[in-house]
Amino acid sequence: MLMMAALVSGCVSSRIEQSRTATTGIETDEAIVLLGRASYNDRQTEESFTDCIADTLSAGDDPIRLIPQDEFKDELYPWFEPRTAPTSADELSTLFDQPGVRDRIEEAQVRYLAWIDGDTIIIDQGGSFSCTISSFGGGCFGMSYWEEDASYEASIWDLHNLTAAGEISADANGTSYLAGLILPIPIMARPGNAACKALASQLREFLVGDVVTTGDGAGEI
Amino acid sequence: MKTNSLCILLVLSLSGCTTSVMVEGTVPTPLVAKMPARVGLYFSPDFKSFRHEETIEQRGSYQVDMGQQNLTFFRNLMKAMFESTVEVDEPLLPSETATGIDGVIVPEILKYGFLTPAVSGLNFYSASIHYRVALFDVAGNKVGDWTLVGYGKAEGGVFSGSDALREATLLAIRDGGARIAIDLPLEPAVVDWLQQVEDASAVSGSAATPAEGGES
Repeated sequence: MLMMAALVSGCVSSRIEQSRTATTGIETDEAIVLLGRASYNDRQTEESFTDCIADTLSAGDDPIRLIPQDEFKDELYPWFEPRTAPTSADELSTLFDQPGVRDRIEEAQVRYLAWIDGDTIIIDQGGSFSCTISSFGGGCFGMSYWEEDASYEASIWDLHNLTAAGEISADANGTSYLAGLILPIPIMARPGNAACKALASQLREFLVGDVVTTGDGAGEI
Repeated sequence: MKTNSLCILLVLSLSGCTTSVMVEGTVPTPLVAKMPARVGLYFSPDFKSFRHEETIEQRGSYQVDMGQQNLTFFRNLMKAMFESTVEVDEPLLPSETATGIDGVIVPEILKYGFLTPAVSGLNFYSASIHYRVALFDVAGNKVGDWTLVGYGKAEGGVFSGSDALREATLLAIRDGGARIAIDLPLEPAVVDWLQQVEDASAVSGSAATPAEGGES
Protein backbone atom coordinates (compact mmCIF):
# COMPACT_ATOMS: atom_id res chain seq x y z
CA MET A 1 0.00 0.00 0.00
CA LEU A 2 2.86 2.37 0.92
CA MET A 3 4.63 1.57 -2.34
CA MET A 4 1.41 2.20 -4.24
CA ALA A 5 0.87 5.53 -2.49
CA ALA A 6 4.45 6.56 -3.23
CA LEU A 7 4.00 5.51 -6.84
CA VAL A 8 0.88 7.56 -7.45
CA SER A 9 2.14 10.71 -5.68
CA GLY A 10 4.17 13.17 -7.71
CA CYS A 11 6.91 15.38 -6.31
CA VAL A 12 6.02 18.88 -5.12
CA SER A 13 8.43 21.61 -4.08
CA SER A 14 7.15 24.43 -1.94
CA ARG A 15 8.39 27.67 -0.47
CA ILE A 16 6.91 29.69 2.38
CA GLU A 17 7.70 33.26 3.37
CA GLN A 18 6.49 35.35 6.25
CA SER A 19 6.54 39.03 6.99
CA ARG A 20 5.40 40.17 10.42
CA THR A 21 4.66 43.80 11.20
CA ALA A 22 3.10 43.45 14.65
CA THR A 23 3.13 41.16 17.66
CA THR A 24 0.29 38.65 17.65
CA GLY A 25 -1.46 36.29 20.00
CA ILE A 26 -4.88 34.71 20.24
CA GLU A 27 -6.95 33.69 23.26
CA THR A 28 -8.95 30.48 23.21
CA ASP A 29 -12.25 32.36 23.04
CA GLU A 30 -11.09 34.58 20.18
CA ALA A 31 -11.72 33.67 16.57
CA ILE A 32 -10.30 34.15 13.13
CA VAL A 33 -12.16 34.48 9.84
CA LEU A 34 -10.60 33.27 6.59
CA LEU A 35 -11.87 35.17 3.59
CA GLY A 36 -11.09 34.21 0.00
CA ARG A 37 -10.40 37.26 -2.14
CA ALA A 38 -12.89 37.43 -5.00
CA SER A 39 -12.71 39.85 -7.86
CA TYR A 40 -14.44 40.07 -11.20
CA ASN A 41 -11.47 39.21 -13.37
CA ASP A 42 -10.63 35.73 -14.66
CA ARG A 43 -9.16 34.49 -11.38
CA GLN A 44 -10.42 33.89 -7.89
CA THR A 45 -9.22 32.04 -4.80
CA GLU A 46 -10.78 28.58 -4.88
CA GLU A 47 -13.27 27.91 -2.07
CA SER A 48 -11.69 24.48 -1.64
CA PHE A 49 -8.40 26.17 -0.72
CA THR A 50 -9.86 28.31 2.09
CA ASP A 51 -11.82 25.25 3.26
CA CYS A 52 -8.57 23.26 3.37
CA ILE A 53 -6.85 25.91 5.53
CA ALA A 54 -9.91 26.15 7.78
CA ASP A 55 -9.98 22.37 8.28
CA THR A 56 -6.27 22.31 9.12
CA LEU A 57 -6.45 25.21 11.59
CA SER A 58 -9.50 23.88 13.40
CA ALA A 59 -8.02 20.38 13.77
CA GLY A 60 -5.21 19.08 15.94
CA ASP A 61 -4.35 19.38 19.62
CA ASP A 62 -4.48 23.16 19.65
CA PRO A 63 -7.39 24.14 17.39
CA ILE A 64 -8.08 27.76 16.55
CA ARG A 65 -11.69 28.94 16.64
CA LEU A 66 -12.87 29.78 13.13
CA ILE A 67 -16.01 31.53 12.00
CA PRO A 68 -17.17 30.28 8.56
CA GLN A 69 -16.77 32.96 5.92
CA ASP A 70 -20.37 32.66 4.65
CA GLU A 71 -21.71 33.20 8.18
CA PHE A 72 -19.39 36.17 8.70
CA LYS A 73 -20.36 37.75 5.37
CA ASP A 74 -24.07 37.35 6.16
CA GLU A 75 -23.63 38.90 9.62
CA LEU A 76 -21.69 41.85 8.18
CA TYR A 77 -23.65 42.23 4.93
CA PRO A 78 -23.13 44.38 2.83
CA TRP A 79 -19.59 45.25 3.98
CA PHE A 80 -17.67 42.11 2.96
CA GLU A 81 -19.05 41.50 -0.53
CA PRO A 82 -16.48 41.28 -3.38
CA ARG A 83 -16.95 44.91 -4.43
CA THR A 84 -17.49 46.45 -0.99
CA ALA A 85 -14.94 44.67 1.20
CA PRO A 86 -12.01 46.73 2.48
CA THR A 87 -8.94 46.31 0.29
CA SER A 88 -6.41 47.35 2.91
CA ALA A 89 -6.20 47.48 6.70
CA ASP A 90 -6.21 51.29 6.47
CA GLU A 91 -9.90 51.09 5.55
CA LEU A 92 -10.81 49.22 8.74
CA SER A 93 -11.36 52.31 10.86
CA THR A 94 -13.82 53.70 8.28
CA LEU A 95 -15.58 50.35 8.20
CA PHE A 96 -15.80 50.21 11.99
CA ASP A 97 -17.53 53.61 11.96
CA GLN A 98 -20.48 52.06 10.11
CA PRO A 99 -23.43 51.47 12.42
CA GLY A 100 -23.38 48.07 14.08
CA VAL A 101 -20.16 46.79 12.49
CA ARG A 102 -17.90 47.13 15.55
CA ASP A 103 -20.57 45.64 17.86
CA ARG A 104 -21.18 42.68 15.58
CA ILE A 105 -17.44 41.87 15.29
CA GLU A 106 -16.84 42.28 19.04
CA GLU A 107 -19.87 40.14 19.82
CA ALA A 108 -18.47 37.31 17.68
CA GLN A 109 -15.02 37.86 19.26
CA VAL A 110 -13.30 37.98 15.90
CA ARG A 111 -9.67 38.91 16.57
CA TYR A 112 -8.14 38.41 13.12
CA LEU A 113 -9.18 38.48 9.49
CA ALA A 114 -6.99 36.55 7.07
CA TRP A 115 -7.49 37.40 3.41
CA ILE A 116 -6.44 34.49 1.22
CA ASP A 117 -5.48 35.52 -2.29
CA GLY A 118 -4.11 33.36 -5.09
CA ASP A 119 -4.84 30.32 -7.20
CA THR A 120 -3.45 27.18 -8.79
CA ILE A 121 -2.79 27.28 -12.51
CA ILE A 122 -1.38 24.93 -15.13
CA ILE A 123 1.86 26.44 -16.43
CA ASP A 124 2.97 23.68 -18.80
CA GLN A 125 1.49 20.53 -20.31
CA GLY A 126 2.29 18.08 -23.06
CA GLY A 127 2.50 14.47 -24.17
CA SER A 128 -0.07 12.28 -25.78
CA PHE A 129 -2.56 9.98 -24.13
CA SER A 130 -5.60 8.20 -25.49
CA CYS A 131 -8.03 5.48 -24.51
CA THR A 132 -10.02 3.36 -26.94
CA ILE A 133 -12.88 0.97 -26.45
CA SER A 134 -14.34 -1.49 -28.94
CA SER A 135 -16.33 -4.69 -28.97
CA PHE A 136 -13.00 -6.57 -28.75
CA GLY A 137 -11.90 -4.74 -25.61
CA GLY A 138 -10.05 -1.54 -24.90
CA GLY A 139 -7.08 0.13 -23.33
CA CYS A 140 -5.12 3.30 -22.78
CA PHE A 141 -1.76 4.14 -24.34
CA GLY A 142 0.69 7.03 -24.17
CA MET A 143 1.74 9.49 -21.56
CA SER A 144 0.80 13.07 -20.75
CA TYR A 145 1.97 15.49 -18.11
CA TRP A 146 0.96 18.85 -16.71
CA GLU A 147 2.84 21.15 -14.39
CA GLU A 148 0.87 23.19 -11.85
CA ASP A 149 1.90 26.22 -9.86
CA ALA A 150 0.06 27.11 -6.67
CA SER A 151 0.72 30.61 -5.40
CA TYR A 152 -1.18 31.98 -2.40
CA GLU A 153 -0.81 34.81 0.07
CA ALA A 154 -2.51 35.41 3.41
CA SER A 155 -2.81 39.00 4.66
CA ILE A 156 -3.60 39.03 8.35
CA TRP A 157 -5.43 41.98 9.87
CA ASP A 158 -5.74 42.54 13.60
CA LEU A 159 -9.27 43.72 14.39
CA HIS A 160 -8.35 44.84 17.92
CA ASN A 161 -5.77 47.32 16.72
CA LEU A 162 -7.29 47.83 13.23
CA THR A 163 -3.91 47.27 11.63
CA ALA A 164 -2.18 44.78 9.34
CA ALA A 165 -0.31 42.20 11.41
CA GLY A 166 1.66 40.62 8.58
CA GLU A 167 1.66 38.49 5.47
CA ILE A 168 2.46 34.88 4.68
CA SER A 169 2.98 33.59 1.16
CA ALA A 170 3.17 30.00 -0.01
CA ASP A 171 4.27 28.78 -3.42
CA ALA A 172 4.24 25.16 -4.51
CA ASN A 173 5.04 23.58 -7.84
CA GLY A 174 4.58 20.04 -9.09
CA THR A 175 4.18 17.95 -12.21
CA SER A 176 1.54 15.25 -12.59
CA TYR A 177 1.71 12.38 -15.07
CA LEU A 178 -0.88 10.14 -16.66
CA ALA A 179 0.62 7.03 -18.19
CA GLY A 180 -1.34 4.48 -20.18
CA LEU A 181 -0.26 0.86 -20.32
CA ILE A 182 -3.62 -0.80 -21.01
CA LEU A 183 -4.76 0.66 -17.69
CA PRO A 184 -4.40 4.40 -17.00
CA ILE A 185 -1.86 5.06 -14.23
CA PRO A 186 -2.09 8.53 -12.68
CA ILE A 187 0.90 9.95 -10.79
CA MET A 188 -0.55 13.02 -9.19
CA ALA A 189 1.30 15.96 -7.69
CA ARG A 190 -0.92 18.18 -5.57
CA PRO A 191 0.75 21.57 -5.25
CA GLY A 192 -2.50 23.20 -4.09
CA ASN A 193 -2.72 20.80 -1.17
CA ALA A 194 0.97 21.31 -0.33
CA ALA A 195 0.51 25.10 -0.38
CA CYS A 196 -2.55 24.76 1.87
CA LYS A 197 -0.75 22.64 4.47
CA ALA A 198 2.30 24.91 4.46
CA LEU A 199 0.25 28.10 4.69
CA ALA A 200 -2.02 26.73 7.43
CA SER A 201 0.95 25.56 9.51
CA GLN A 202 2.69 28.92 9.21
CA LEU A 203 -0.54 30.80 9.89
CA ARG A 204 -1.06 28.84 13.11
CA GLU A 205 2.46 29.74 14.29
CA PHE A 206 1.92 33.34 13.27
CA LEU A 207 -1.34 33.70 15.20
CA VAL A 208 -0.11 32.04 18.36
CA GLY A 209 2.32 34.90 18.68
CA ASP A 210 5.86 36.06 18.26
CA VAL A 211 8.02 39.16 18.43
CA VAL A 212 8.18 41.68 15.60
CA THR A 213 10.54 40.27 12.97
CA THR A 214 10.74 40.03 9.21
CA GLY A 215 12.05 36.86 7.66
CA ASP A 216 11.49 34.04 5.24
CA GLY A 217 12.08 30.37 4.94
CA ALA A 218 11.92 27.71 2.29
CA GLY A 219 11.35 24.00 2.34
CA GLU A 220 10.66 20.93 0.23
CA ILE A 221 7.68 18.66 0.67
CA MET B 1 -24.92 -3.86 -30.30
CA LYS B 2 -25.43 -3.11 -26.63
CA THR B 3 -22.66 -0.48 -26.73
CA ASN B 4 -24.20 1.20 -29.80
CA SER B 5 -27.59 1.44 -28.08
CA LEU B 6 -26.01 3.02 -25.04
CA CYS B 7 -24.21 5.58 -27.22
CA ILE B 8 -27.44 6.52 -29.04
CA LEU B 9 -29.26 6.89 -25.71
CA LEU B 10 -26.47 9.10 -24.38
CA VAL B 11 -26.50 11.36 -27.47
CA LEU B 12 -30.30 11.70 -27.32
CA SER B 13 -30.29 12.55 -23.63
CA LEU B 14 -27.56 15.17 -24.10
CA SER B 15 -29.18 16.90 -27.09
CA GLY B 16 -32.46 17.43 -25.23
CA CYS B 17 -30.80 18.76 -22.09
CA THR B 18 -32.52 21.51 -20.10
CA THR B 19 -30.89 23.03 -17.05
CA SER B 20 -33.45 24.30 -14.53
CA VAL B 21 -32.17 26.48 -11.77
CA MET B 22 -34.23 27.56 -8.77
CA VAL B 23 -32.32 30.33 -7.03
CA GLU B 24 -32.49 29.89 -3.26
CA GLY B 25 -30.19 30.97 -0.46
CA THR B 26 -29.73 32.96 2.68
CA VAL B 27 -31.30 36.40 3.03
CA PRO B 28 -28.94 38.53 5.10
CA THR B 29 -30.24 41.62 6.89
CA PRO B 30 -28.13 44.61 5.84
CA LEU B 31 -26.18 46.32 8.60
CA VAL B 32 -26.86 49.90 7.51
CA ALA B 33 -28.33 53.03 9.09
CA LYS B 34 -32.07 53.32 8.49
CA MET B 35 -33.15 56.31 6.43
CA PRO B 36 -35.72 58.39 8.38
CA ALA B 37 -38.58 57.89 5.93
CA ARG B 38 -41.63 55.69 5.56
CA VAL B 39 -41.88 54.14 2.10
CA GLY B 40 -44.33 52.15 0.07
CA LEU B 41 -42.82 49.28 -1.92
CA TYR B 42 -44.24 48.41 -5.30
CA PHE B 43 -43.13 45.04 -6.65
CA SER B 44 -44.50 44.47 -10.14
CA PRO B 45 -45.76 40.97 -11.13
CA ASP B 46 -42.69 40.66 -13.42
CA PHE B 47 -40.37 41.42 -10.53
CA LYS B 48 -42.15 39.01 -8.20
CA SER B 49 -41.85 36.08 -10.57
CA PHE B 50 -38.79 36.89 -12.64
CA ARG B 51 -37.70 33.97 -14.75
CA HIS B 52 -35.03 33.85 -17.42
CA GLU B 53 -35.03 31.38 -20.29
CA GLU B 54 -32.26 31.04 -22.81
CA THR B 55 -31.09 28.44 -25.28
CA ILE B 56 -27.40 28.12 -26.02
CA GLU B 57 -26.55 26.29 -29.22
CA GLN B 58 -25.12 22.81 -28.60
CA ARG B 59 -25.49 23.32 -24.84
CA GLY B 60 -29.23 23.10 -24.39
CA SER B 61 -31.69 25.43 -22.75
CA TYR B 62 -31.47 27.13 -19.38
CA GLN B 63 -34.33 28.19 -17.11
CA VAL B 64 -33.37 30.38 -14.19
CA ASP B 65 -36.13 31.11 -11.67
CA MET B 66 -35.07 33.82 -9.25
CA GLY B 67 -38.38 35.53 -8.51
CA GLN B 68 -39.02 34.39 -4.94
CA GLN B 69 -35.43 34.77 -3.74
CA ASN B 70 -35.20 38.22 -5.32
CA LEU B 71 -38.50 39.32 -3.79
CA THR B 72 -37.62 38.08 -0.30
CA PHE B 73 -34.19 39.67 -0.59
CA PHE B 74 -35.60 43.08 -1.59
CA ARG B 75 -38.29 43.03 1.09
CA ASN B 76 -35.60 42.44 3.69
CA LEU B 77 -33.25 44.98 2.13
CA MET B 78 -35.82 47.78 2.10
CA LYS B 79 -37.02 46.95 5.60
CA ALA B 80 -33.44 47.42 6.82
CA MET B 81 -32.88 50.63 4.83
CA PHE B 82 -36.00 52.60 5.79
CA GLU B 83 -37.77 53.53 9.03
CA SER B 84 -40.87 51.65 7.91
CA THR B 85 -42.12 49.92 4.77
CA VAL B 86 -45.47 48.83 3.45
CA GLU B 87 -46.25 47.06 0.19
CA VAL B 88 -48.55 48.97 -2.16
CA ASP B 89 -50.59 47.89 -5.19
CA GLU B 90 -49.67 50.76 -7.50
CA PRO B 91 -46.44 52.65 -8.08
CA LEU B 92 -48.29 55.98 -8.19
CA LEU B 93 -50.78 56.23 -5.38
CA PRO B 94 -53.84 58.50 -5.23
CA SER B 95 -53.27 61.07 -2.49
CA GLU B 96 -56.01 59.63 -0.26
CA THR B 97 -54.28 56.23 -0.10
CA ALA B 98 -50.78 57.66 0.24
CA THR B 99 -51.21 58.55 3.87
CA GLY B 100 -48.58 57.37 6.30
CA ILE B 101 -45.83 57.13 3.70
CA ASP B 102 -43.27 59.59 2.39
CA GLY B 103 -42.56 57.99 -0.96
CA VAL B 104 -42.74 54.86 -3.09
CA ILE B 105 -39.81 52.66 -4.14
CA VAL B 106 -40.15 50.69 -7.38
CA PRO B 107 -37.41 48.14 -8.14
CA GLU B 108 -37.23 46.50 -11.56
CA ILE B 109 -35.04 43.92 -13.24
CA LEU B 110 -34.03 45.32 -16.61
CA LYS B 111 -31.81 42.50 -17.75
CA TYR B 112 -30.36 39.22 -16.57
CA GLY B 113 -27.51 37.40 -18.26
CA PHE B 114 -25.10 34.61 -17.57
CA LEU B 115 -21.97 33.04 -19.02
CA THR B 116 -21.02 29.40 -18.84
CA PRO B 117 -17.38 28.22 -18.80
CA ALA B 118 -17.86 26.94 -22.36
CA VAL B 119 -18.77 30.45 -23.54
CA SER B 120 -16.31 32.49 -21.46
CA GLY B 121 -13.39 30.05 -21.54
CA LEU B 122 -12.96 30.53 -17.77
CA ASN B 123 -13.60 28.06 -14.96
CA PHE B 124 -16.53 30.07 -13.68
CA TYR B 125 -20.21 30.53 -14.25
CA SER B 126 -20.96 34.23 -14.03
CA ALA B 127 -24.24 36.12 -13.81
CA SER B 128 -25.24 39.76 -14.00
CA ILE B 129 -28.50 41.48 -13.08
CA HIS B 130 -29.30 45.02 -14.18
CA TYR B 131 -31.61 46.60 -11.62
CA ARG B 132 -33.40 49.92 -11.85
CA VAL B 133 -34.65 51.45 -8.63
CA ALA B 134 -37.06 54.39 -8.91
CA LEU B 135 -38.15 56.62 -6.06
CA PHE B 136 -41.36 58.68 -6.18
CA ASP B 137 -42.36 61.25 -3.61
CA VAL B 138 -45.76 61.11 -1.97
CA ALA B 139 -47.22 63.42 -4.65
CA GLY B 140 -46.18 60.97 -7.36
CA ASN B 141 -43.23 63.02 -8.67
CA LYS B 142 -40.17 61.02 -9.58
CA VAL B 143 -37.33 61.85 -7.22
CA GLY B 144 -34.94 59.85 -9.36
CA ASP B 145 -34.11 56.45 -10.75
CA TRP B 146 -30.84 54.58 -10.61
CA THR B 147 -29.51 51.64 -12.58
CA LEU B 148 -27.20 49.25 -10.75
CA VAL B 149 -25.58 46.06 -11.90
CA GLY B 150 -25.07 43.09 -9.61
CA TYR B 151 -22.37 40.58 -10.53
CA GLY B 152 -21.71 37.11 -9.28
CA LYS B 153 -19.49 34.23 -10.24
CA ALA B 154 -19.03 30.71 -8.98
CA GLU B 155 -16.68 27.85 -9.70
CA GLY B 156 -18.26 25.32 -12.02
CA GLY B 157 -17.35 21.67 -12.34
CA VAL B 158 -18.34 19.41 -15.21
CA PHE B 159 -21.34 17.96 -13.38
CA SER B 160 -22.35 20.90 -11.20
CA GLY B 161 -23.39 23.51 -13.77
CA SER B 162 -26.82 24.21 -12.27
CA ASP B 163 -25.38 24.57 -8.75
CA ALA B 164 -22.73 27.00 -9.99
CA LEU B 165 -25.29 29.04 -11.94
CA ARG B 166 -27.55 29.15 -8.87
CA GLU B 167 -24.63 30.36 -6.74
CA ALA B 168 -23.52 32.95 -9.31
CA THR B 169 -27.08 34.33 -9.56
CA LEU B 170 -27.43 34.43 -5.79
CA LEU B 171 -24.17 36.36 -5.53
CA ALA B 172 -25.37 38.76 -8.23
CA ILE B 173 -28.52 39.49 -6.19
CA ARG B 174 -26.35 40.08 -3.09
CA ASP B 175 -23.98 42.32 -5.01
CA GLY B 176 -26.83 44.39 -6.47
CA GLY B 177 -28.39 44.65 -3.00
CA ALA B 178 -25.08 45.76 -1.50
CA ARG B 179 -24.74 48.54 -4.05
CA ILE B 180 -28.30 49.71 -3.36
CA ALA B 181 -27.81 49.61 0.42
CA ILE B 182 -24.56 51.58 0.30
CA ASP B 183 -25.01 53.92 -2.67
CA LEU B 184 -28.69 54.87 -2.61
CA PRO B 185 -28.58 56.86 0.69
CA LEU B 186 -25.67 58.89 -0.71
CA GLU B 187 -27.44 59.94 -3.93
CA PRO B 188 -27.95 63.75 -3.89
CA ALA B 189 -31.61 63.42 -4.98
CA VAL B 190 -32.27 61.00 -2.09
CA VAL B 191 -30.51 63.31 0.37
CA ASP B 192 -32.69 66.23 -0.82
CA TRP B 193 -35.83 64.11 -0.60
CA LEU B 194 -34.96 63.01 2.95
CA GLN B 195 -34.49 66.67 3.86
CA GLN B 196 -37.94 67.48 2.43
CA VAL B 197 -39.44 64.58 4.39
CA GLU B 198 -37.81 65.87 7.57
CA ASP B 199 -38.98 69.44 6.88
CA ALA B 200 -42.54 68.28 6.19
CA SER B 201 -42.48 66.21 9.36
CA ALA B 202 -41.27 69.21 11.38
CA VAL B 203 -44.01 71.43 9.92
CA SER B 204 -46.78 68.90 10.61
CA GLY B 205 -45.36 68.34 14.08
CA SER B 206 -45.32 72.07 14.92
CA ALA B 207 -48.81 72.50 13.42
CA ALA B 208 -50.12 69.68 15.57
CA THR B 209 -48.56 70.95 18.79
CA PRO B 210 -50.75 74.12 19.31
CA ALA B 211 -53.91 72.16 18.46
CA GLU B 212 -53.01 69.48 20.95
CA GLY B 213 -52.13 72.19 23.44
CA GLY B 214 -55.51 73.91 22.83
CA GLU B 215 -57.46 70.75 23.45
CA SER B 216 -55.73 70.12 26.74
